Amino acid sequence: MLKRILLAAALTASLSMTARAADQMVFTAWGGTTQEAQKKAFADTFTAQSGVEVLQDGPTDYGKLKAMVESGNVTWDVVDVEMDFAIAAAKAGLLEPIDFAVVDKSKIDPRFVADHFVGSFYYSFVIGYNKDVLKETPQNWADLFDMEKFPGKRTFYKWSAPGALEIALLADGVAPDKLYPLDLDRAFKKLDTIKKDILWWGSGAESQQFLASGEAPIGMFWNGRIFAIQQEGGNVDTAWGQNLTAADVLVIPKGSKKKDIAMKFLANATSADVQAELSKLTTLSPINVESKGKMDAAAVAALPDSHTEGQINLNMEYWAEHRDEIAKRWYDWQSQ
Amino acid sequence: MTTMSVRPGSRQGPAFAFVAPALLLLVIFFLLPVAALLLRSVTEPELGLQNYRELFATSTYTRVFLNTFLVAGITTLVTLLIGYPVAWLLAVLPQRTAMLIFGIILLSMWTNLLARTYAWMVLLQRTGVINKTLMQWGLISEPLPLVNNLTGIIIGMVYIMLPFIILPLHASMRAIDPAILQAAALCGAGRWQSFIRVLLPLSASGATAGALMVFVMSLGYFVTPALLGGASNMMLAGMIAQLIQSLLDWGLGGAAALVLLAVTLALYGLQIRLVGNAFTEGR
Repeated sequence: MLKRILLAAALTASLSMTARAADQMVFTAWGGTTQEAQKKAFADTFTAQSGVEVLQDGPTDYGKLKAMVESGNVTWDVVDVEMDFAIAAAKAGLLEPIDFAVVDKSKIDPRFVADHFVGSFYYSFVIGYNKDVLKETPQNWADLFDMEKFPGKRTFYKWSAPGALEIALLADGVAPDKLYPLDLDRAFKKLDTIKKDILWWGSGAESQQFLASGEAPIGMFWNGRIFAIQQEGGNVDTAWGQNLTAADVLVIPKGSKKKDIAMKFLANATSADVQAELSKLTTLSPINVESKGKMDAAAVAALPDSHTEGQINLNMEYWAEHRDEIAKRWYDWQSQ
Repeated sequence: MTTMSVRPGSRQGPAFAFVAPALLLLVIFFLLPVAALLLRSVTEPELGLQNYRELFATSTYTRVFLNTFLVAGITTLVTLLIGYPVAWLLAVLPQRTAMLIFGIILLSMWTNLLARTYAWMVLLQRTGVINKTLMQWGLISEPLPLVNNLTGIIIGMVYIMLPFIILPLHASMRAIDPAILQAAALCGAGRWQSFIRVLLPLSASGATAGALMVFVMSLGYFVTPALLGGASNMMLAGMIAQLIQSLLDWGLGGAAALVLLAVTLALYGLQIRLVGNAFTEGR
């Protein structure tokens, strides 16, 4: 008898397991160490809590996202995108509105939430430098343009995005509160002075390779990537002077067939504990205002949040509006 | 089934039936999507040829076109220069040694393209093996700029394209009767003369076929220029990817793709004509 009950229990359990396994969704982000951490913090906890299997895909590709939405064949349910893209994509009708009955908006930093997206994390562009190669310690962005004090190649983010142009203007002496609207002529002129010495990184992994190998001993980086090199024993460090904050946000492409599951995924991903976990793993800042209270002092000290002196917020609204025209000019200049 | 009612003697019908599934697959998963993309070049953002106008009027894009042809041209030239002696060597060496060299050449083709390109990155970079060794030997004091520029692209492309020129060259050289070269020597031709006046014309068909193939393949290359080139060495395929992926400008991307396709097809047509003629002449 007991055997039979056990068998029945095992059967029901296995049946419900298979029923659950049918619940799947796809999470897409930029790959590398950051997505690994997102998988741990966002996806694994969500699976444990809901039984929904979260498949990982990537890297994020805006062209693919647009193609999916337009063809009505959406296979990405939650996508990690840059915030300025999210603002523009929401206007273009590519995103599902967030259901704030499911996602608790009250605890999310108001800078990183809107009708069509919630924050994923926020980060800073910082100066990273290789201590094996460089003798001097850089302080702020002007040092990236000082070829005598900091000889060698420097590495910059390849794609047209908030960051590099602001860096050029700050280095040229523009006051942080006078950055926008961007003086593009002046920014490109400043970048011209070091253009032949720039190595462009197209992915976080590539930036790490350039810095760790000494191929480019100095450059602009996502702060979390420098931390990751240090974790693996690389002799590199961060200069936080004038660090520039920007954010990645989570969106649901319009037409996702797993919209309801995706909303729950977002609710979990933006919760205080999960955001604290992601921050501990990556030194990217949490977008949930309660997360820092759940982290120890050492972990908090490594966040962009702890380097607010001289910190500058990149203006995502400005970028969302001028994304395309700046991009054309950026790639034109870059290819010359 | 019409294919079944084909008269005996005509092989075309049944042959077509065998090819049909593959063709259908190509049409559905390749031709239709490509056609849809190309169509967008004249419908987006509005009906008309504005995308083509922009493509040819913007200096960035014309520069990318020129650069694409430049890279493809240099690659073809260098592969020819390297490929000729290798192919000749393979034709005259003892069979066993030749097979060994062939094996090495083919082995490189079977290795993943991305892996091979990354390997070049590691070798060529400023802190890479080549530069470090040269500096240790005191031959150079500053690392040579071997990667993230035109040099890097050419090295990577030549390496990948070499088999495509060696194989057809080898085939046409093998077909040459060695007695012809002996005859040339007997008639007093020096090595150089017999190369220019005998070997070169006789292997021209293989060279043309190989060179055209390398040129056409180089035109559309993406991974190698993206990884080994710098920002100023963008080629057409990279530009199309950028237009579509980061600028979301499918219209302009489609226009660029159509131009690439047209050039490729034209060259392919040329290849069929030239090589076809060469073969019939040879017989």
